Amino acid sequence: MPEKPIPENDPVVSKSLAPHYLISMVILMATFFWAMWDEDFGQRPWKAFQHEWKDRYSTFLKNARSQSGDAQKEVESSPDYQKLKQDYEAASQNATPRIKEINEKLHDLSAQILAVQTVFTDRRAYVNALTYSIETETSASSKQSKLKDLASYKQEKTSVTMPDGKKQDFDFDHLEETYNDLKNERTQLSAELGDLIKPVNEKKQLMDSYLSDHMVNLTPSQLTNLQNGVDAWTPKIRQINVNEHTADLVREDSANIVDRCESCHMGIREPVKLTAASMSAKGKKPDEYARAFTSHPEPDLLKIHDPDKFGCAPCHQGNGRATTSVAKAHGNYEHWLWPLFSPGNYESGCQICHSADMVVVSNDIGWTLTEGKDLFRQRGCMGCHRYEGYDKEPEDLLSIAQQIKQLDQEKRDNFKQAGDLMKQADKAENNDEANRLNDRAVALKVTNSKLDLRIVQLDRSTKSLLQDTKKVGPNLKDIRLKLNKNWIPVWLKKPSDFRATTKMPNFRLNDDQIKAISAFLWQSALLDPLPKRNPGNAAHGKELFESRGCLACHSIGEGDQLQGGTFAANLTRVGEKDNYDYLVRWVHNARERTRPYCPLEKKDIGPEDYKKKGLPYVFDLDHSKCPNDGHELQVQNMTVMPSLRLSSEDAQDVASYLVTLKKQQPSSYPDAPFMDDPNLKAEGKKWVRHFGCAGCHEISGLEDEGRIGTELTTEGSKPIERLDFALLTEVAARGGSEPITDPDDRSRLPEGPAQKPWYDQKGFFEHKLAEPNIWDKGKEKIETEKLRMPNLHLSREQVRALTTFLLGSQENPLPPNYQYRPLDYRRDVQEGWWIVKKYNCMGCHQLIPGQKTSLMAMARYQDAQEQLPPKLLTEGSRVDPEWLLRFLKNPALNDKDNNRNGVRSYLQVRMPTFSFSENELGKLVRFFQALSRQPFPYIPEEVPVLTTKETEMARSLFSSTAAPCLKCHATGDPAHDRFATAPNFLQARGRLKPDWMERWIIDPQAIAPGTSMPSGLFKRQNGHWVFSGPTPASFQGYDKDQTKLLVDYILQLTPEEQRRVSAAMGRSSASTGSSPTGAKSSGNAGRGAP
Amino acid sequence: MDWKQLWEILSAADNVPIIAMIPLLAFYMYLAWKQAHANDVLIEQLAGDAALAKTHHRKAWPFKPGWAKEVHVWPFLLRVEFLAAIIVTIILMIWSITLNAPLEEPANPNLTMNPAKAPWYFLGLQEMLVYFDPWIAGVVMPTLIIVGLMVIPYIDTNPLGAGYYTWKQRKFAIGTFLFGFIILWVSMIFIGTFIRGPGWQWFWPGQTWDHNRLIYEVNKDLPDIFGITSNWGKGIFGAAVVGGFFAFGGLLVHAFFRRHNAKDYKRMSLLQYSIMMTFFLTMIALPIKILLRLLFHIKYVWITPWFNV
Amino acid sequence: MKTKNSIALWSLTASLGLFLLAGCGKKEEQPAATPVASAPAAAPATPIDPATAASISGTVKFEGEAPKAAKIDMSQDPACKGTNIAENVMASGGHLGNVFVYVKEGLGSRTFDVPKDAITLDQSGCKYHPHVLGVVANQTIKIVNSDQTTHNIHPTPKDNREWNESQPPSAAPLEKTFAREEIMLPVKCNQHPWMRMFVNVTKSPFFAVTGTDGKFEIKGLPPGDYTIAFIHEKLGEQDVKVTLVAKDTKTVDATFKP
Repeated sequence: MPEKPIPENDPVVSKSLAPHYLISMVILMATFFWAMWDEDFGQRPWKAFQHEWKDRYSTFLKNARSQSGDAQKEVESSPDYQKLKQDYEAASQNATPRIKEINEKLHDLSAQILAVQTVFTDRRAYVNALTYSIETETSASSKQSKLKDLASYKQEKTSVTMPDGKKQDFDFDHLEETYNDLKNERTQLSAELGDLIKPVNEKKQLMDSYLSDHMVNLTPSQLTNLQNGVDAWTPKIRQINVNEHTADLVREDSANIVDRCESCHMGIREPVKLTAASMSAKGKKPDEYARAFTSHPEPDLLKIHDPDKFGCAPCHQGNGRATTSVAKAHGNYEHWLWPLFSPGNYESGCQICHSADMVVVSNDIGWTLTEGKDLFRQRGCMGCHRYEGYDKEPEDLLSIAQQIKQLDQEKRDNFKQAGDLMKQADKAENNDEANRLNDRAVALKVTNSKLDLRIVQLDRSTKSLLQDTKKVGPNLKDIRLKLNKNWIPVWLKKPSDFRATTKMPNFRLNDDQIKAISAFLWQSALLDPLPKRNPGNAAHGKELFESRGCLACHSIGEGDQLQGGTFAANLTRVGEKDNYDYLVRWVHNARERTRPYCPLEKKDIGPEDYKKKGLPYVFDLDHSKCPNDGHELQVQNMTVMPSLRLSSEDAQDVASYLVTLKKQQPSSYPDAPFMDDPNLKAEGKKWVRHFGCAGCHEISGLEDEGRIGTELTTEGSKPIERLDFALLTEVAARGGSEPITDPDDRSRLPEGPAQKPWYDQKGFFEHKLAEPNIWDKGKEKIETEKLRMPNLHLSREQVRALTTFLLGSQENPLPPNYQYRPLDYRRDVQEGWWIVKKYNCMGCHQLIPGQKTSLMAMARYQDAQEQLPPKLLTEGSRVDPEWLLRFLKNPALNDKDNNRNGVRSYLQVRMPTFSFSENELGKLVRFFQALSRQPFPYIPEEVPVLTTKETEMARSLFSSTAAPCLKCHATGDPAHDRFATAPNFLQARGRLKPDWMERWIIDPQAIAPGTSMPSGLFKRQNGHWVFSGPTPASFQGYDKDQTKLLVDYILQLTPEEQRRVSAAMGRSSASTGSSPTGAKSSGNAGRGAP
Repeated sequence: MDWKQLWEILSAADNVPIIAMIPLLAFYMYLAWKQAHANDVLIEQLAGDAALAKTHHRKAWPFKPGWAKEVHVWPFLLRVEFLAAIIVTIILMIWSITLNAPLEEPANPNLTMNPAKAPWYFLGLQEMLVYFDPWIAGVVMPTLIIVGLMVIPYIDTNPLGAGYYTWKQRKFAIGTFLFGFIILWVSMIFIGTFIRGPGWQWFWPGQTWDHNRLIYEVNKDLPDIFGITSNWGKGIFGAAVVGGFFAFGGLLVHAFFRRHNAKDYKRMSLLQYSIMMTFFLTMIALPIKILLRLLFHIKYVWITPWFNV
Repeated sequence: MKTKNSIALWSLTASLGLFLLAGCGKKEEQPAATPVASAPAAAPATPIDPATAASISGTVKFEGEAPKAAKIDMSQDPACKGTNIAENVMASGGHLGNVFVYVKEGLGSRTFDVPKDAITLDQSGCKYHPHVLGVVANQTIKIVNSDQTTHNIHPTPKDNREWNESQPPSAAPLEKTFAREEIMLPVKCNQHPWMRMFVNVTKSPFFAVTGTDGKFEIKGLPPGDYTIAFIHEKLGEQDVKVTLVAKDTKTVDATFKP
């Protein structure tokens, strides 16, 4: 290093450090101020938001006020309001003079009172003090003297100067008296004043309420109040602290919610609708602030979930406590485990508490989450993945078996104990002892008989559960009877190639696996012969297929030609794979099983077993006991497909139509000889087990296979480290290029190919669902170790839905009193929806206003909506539960002739027989009652018997040309019913609830929007419902509800009566001639001019 | 070369101190060396010039005749120290404003982080766990370090070099210290911070810390290499090896010490000398073990039921 | 890591900013004026100068064999004594009636006053008169029942609200409006299945319905380029483009095939 010249003076002593000090002090001060600033703003970005909020919101309110001002003028100009105003003014004018008077009086009074009071209170104080000392005085003598003093003091006079300047003298008692009198007078006067003002105020309130009722948005005054609130606002943390009042923050039942979200999201709870557009600067794009200030899009949800109780984070997640930055608050940083749900998956929040609700909100239409739930079920996810509540029959069966065991044990113990007790009783010293013991013994016996009955109950529910157990896929024991042998391998190759919309996913099988699997399935299938069926009339079959409602679940046609429901298979090419004979059986009754299965022996019971016991080979719901050991058998196919109660001819027709549906000849499939190669069977079984086929299909030998996938009940709360991104971990964490290369799979990603990092649950689920084997990318694995999850070829929206569902599937962090575990009618609703969705009731029926059924979309109903199945919006309040039970058991309501609709004979579409189990019947009936909040059980009200006069009147109304009920309502007379578009009145009794009927005839549109039954038949006239058309003469002076009369009449209607009336109406007599048109139009009654 | 990975490690708030430490270390080494060199020159000069040595006592370079022999602590020392205090305050304030405490998610006993690292200043000890069993690395070594530091005043018999930089007068002491501090402390922390990735595997800087990385590495115990199986055998063998190291190493160091450090040697009592020896040898043993492990994949040398070395 | 650095950087710059513009002013930009709560008020109707107004007229032809009008069986209701012919394809002598003709495009953002006078829809002989009806949105439709039987009027719209009200004989006329534009909105009577008619709700008053002679005329159009749509309940829609200069009278014909 260069030698520096040595300074003359010693630097240690002479060198000045002033500049160094100066600079460093300056910097120090700077940093100090910086620290101050950081403390105040840097660490509190929400302050900026609140300033911004004040500006924008007040501007918003200003505009809103000016507009609502005009609206207000409009309302005020209305005559009603004017009238109210006049009333008010009149009232106030009447009242004012007297009020004035009283006020003056009161004024004087209070002056006097004041004058007296000062003196009085002083003297009273002295008296009290004296009295006290007398009371506590012990020696009698001094007591006496003190009493004297007191008396004399009371005698003393004092002068009071009244307001008017006069002096008055009072002794104590007189003074007290005067004082009280004055006060009483005052109270009386103020009371009177109150009475005077009250009516005036009431009128004023009437005015205001009228105003607020008749304005769409808020009134100017309301807006002004909001504005004042904004002006008064000083920046501060706005927090919801649910545990504010609980002493201990970690109490068991404390939700421990401290959410400060509203410190930035100021507009969330404002009573006006704020959108990003309306909160952004004029002519500017909505910026960060504008987006933050919007009001909650679903205020109704907030009504149910009061933010002051629930906060925000329980539904939306994110770090509710954080306030230092947006990213922190939204939990979008690596160390927060519950980041905010992203816009596509908001509804995940609902799932956390509402996992037991198939339909989350009562008027839920097109909810992503609900779609997710349905998909999870319909696509058979629960075949491989356990999920609390889904497909739980098998588990319930097990637990019931357990219970039965325990009860048996208990019985045995009781029996033994009873015996011992009786023995002791016999040897007891005295009778009392003996009796006591005997009583206990008896009690035990009674208990046992109770237990017996309980066991019987459990056995029945076992039967129910066996009946309820359904599989997503068809029963593969039947494939030999059902399928075109050569078609199977082709199908397994890639099911979606054969049927684009199929539920059967693609398992990426290689040819050897396909061979082995199909061979095993083929060889393990049943061989029982099917009865040969004659070919039917395909044309008629087509008509039936389209009219009977098959398309509510099944779809037909491909691409944009596709019509019908997506619930069940698309039948466009069914002719290529299915055998005619099997189809006939299937169409006639899909539940009909080839052989009953005994879960206990784990085998299909055949005729031989029955023969051994010398029993007839009969098995159905009524004969479901195993011939060998008398246990419950599985006597139905585990399918939700119901029976449409078609005659066997019709069934043949439909089947013949179905076999015509094909793109190529069944024979054109390449021959598959390996299917019979016995060497492949073992191999096949291995693969079938490996891929968990038995999760969705019945396969002989694999009936009790467990689920092969992980449980998903709480998948959403799995730490990200537990989700194996394999070699893609780094790619995901850095948002590198999208690993999914296959264009189809790419198109499934809801957010499109990855742009930003996606190393989170959402990213995992979305990629997994889009391309289930994505995590095998770049891995070297042997066949058996490859990821097994098949590709469900979901659409982008479906992936989003399922992701939403999974993200929300979390352990509920909230205490029990927060979770949704209803035990009242809402429980019935919960349970009901599971069944409604299970059998796709909503494919035909509208249960939620605005919900679209599969049938509604179809062309054939566009012009004939009265031909659609009834809407069930108020079913619970409409029908008697007893009846509903009967109807659901057998919708034909008729044991002999089943090939019909029980209620709406005029409908082409059929209410099928689902052969519900007792268990499900009960749930369904309770469900409908609960949906309309009806008491259960239902006690029918007495229908008064009509006098002849009343009957006469009712009849005249019933048949008057002005209310021609029988024009549309069926009567049972075929000639007449050709044009019927409404049920027969004779069914009303025992089916309908009278009060509902009344409500219905008054305004049907309000109950079933779009029904053919017109509204406006009755109008309200001085407190009663009267017919709006010309009323028959007989009604002169009838002052009761005519609706009620009509209802009672209908409920007492007899067939004869009905026939008489309809005859009298001179209808259908003339029509007998024109039968050809009639016959034709009977198919589509009410479809307009033939 | 995975720059992102590298940047994430370097920019981790936890690692700021160690990052800062490396350049600072270099700088102060340079400074100290510069001063020491100057002083050594001066010392020679003084030794050569008796008159000057008489007048001049300040053993700090530079100097001039006529400068005060000694200067007062107040103000001449304190004013500098206070300046330093201010600057340090500034640094700490800026640091605390710009970097928040690196807090992480609530601890989950079922799911430990990987790699799970100690605070930077303990990473050296954590790294030692690789080479010794927990008892040695976690208990014995730290104790020895502390005790060793405590005994220094008692075994340091060299009167020279107090209060000024010098190398010539305290070669051994300074050398040993630098060895202990840089090799055994700083470099270990450096390894623990930058080199050790998921699964505490060895990743060169800029290598991606891949959680799925699998490597084939088998570490054998020295006895196994020699095919010793019985526990007794292992114990005895290990004892012998370690004993051997201390014996031979001791002799070597002794020879070296006597030749190059005769003055100190003379001044030292037997007790002082032997204590010094023990600590010195133990210190030497550390890097040797580390090299054995890293280069020859030798896990333990001495295996006993109670501890492994 | 990122977030920490960003915080560091951000607050550093922020502090600088603090020193520079201490007490910086408010934002000059004014927040948006239109609260979404209120719908945009309709602009005043642009006056059309009658001097320059043009008009379109024409004939709708029907090519091919005119289908024989199907007979309706009205026997189910003795009170119905109308001509028993369905009206869905009314073609006589190559002319097609009941075709709704209106200006589909070309009027741009013009808005028009709602005609004050109501349009009458009569039910007589268990038929609707007219069978095809055009109204301006929010124009009142007066529904009269001149039959001695009860009818119920049941529109089944796509974009408007559905309703269904009964109208006893000699009852007061119903007054109804449709708020939203909708073409060929079917109206029917559930008690007389053959009774069907179509209401066409348009924004502009420029529409017409062809009579049995297939003729129509639209008057008072401002000059401009228009798309004229011909719509028939059964035979579908046809669009024709025309350009009108001031005061001219164009003839636009359309031809439907079965």
